Amino acid sequence: MEKKELIDRINTILSEEFEVEQEMIIPQANIKETLELDSLSLVDMVALIDQEFGVKLSGTEVSQLKTFGELYEYLYSKVQF
Amino acid sequence: MTPLLSGDEIKSLIPQREPILMVDKLFSCTEGNAVTGFTILSDNIFCNEDKTLSEAGLIEHVAQSAAAFAGYQFYTSGEQPKLGYIGDIRNFRINWQPEAGDDLITYIRILVKVDAVTKIEAETYVDDKLVAECQMKIFLNDR
Repeated sequence: MEKKELIDRINTILSEEFEVEQEMIIPQANIKETLELDSLSLVDMVALIDQEFGVKLSGTEVSQLKTFGELYEYLYSKVQF
Repeated sequence: MTPLLSGDEIKSLIPQREPILMVDKLFSCTEGNAVTGFTILSDNIFCNEDKTLSEAGLIEHVAQSAAAFAGYQFYTSGEQPKLGYIGDIRNFRINWQPEAGDDLITYIRILVKVDAVTKIEAETYVDDKLVAECQMKIFLNDR
C-alpha cells in the first residue's frame, strides 16, 4: 500500500465515523478540533485505527499526535505492508 | 462453571450494593476478557411487574460486569475498586427479556483503553441464547 492510499483510507474512515467533510481533514489540521473529539470520542478514534490498521495507540501516543500529518506519518511507520 | 468470586466477594470489585448490585459472579478474568454472571431474583429492583428484567436492568448488569472486570485488576493488586461511570452506550440490542430465575452470563471484551476510558463489547446470554449485546464506554474515576 502506498502512502497516499493509507492517507485516503484514514481520511475516509475518520470522515465517516465523525461525520466530517473529507476536505477538512488535511495534514496541518488539528485532529481533536477538526473531529470535535472529547475524551470519550477519542477512544472511538483509537478503536477505529486499531480495527482498520491493527495499530494500538496508547494514551500518551494519542496526546502526542496533534495533526493529521503526524497521524499519517505515525501510522505509515507502524503499518506492515 | 465455577466462579472465581461470587456473592459478597463481588463487593470487593465494584462499589455498588444491594438493591442495585447486578453482578453476583465472576467466572473468569484475563487481560482482555471477562465472564460474569447474575441470577435474577423475583424481588430485583429492575424487574418489571411481569418479572421480566427491564432494559435498564440489562444495561446496569453489563456496566457492572465491565466495572467488575476493571475492579478485578485492583483486587489482585490489593487496591480499592474505583467508581465507574457509563460514558456511552452504542448498538445496544436486546433480543428478548430474561425473567426472574434466569441466570445471566455476560462475556466482556476490551476493545480499547485510553487512559481512564475503556471501550468494551458485551454479550449477555441465558442458557446459551443471546439476550443482548452492546458496546459501552466506561470511565473509571481516579478519585
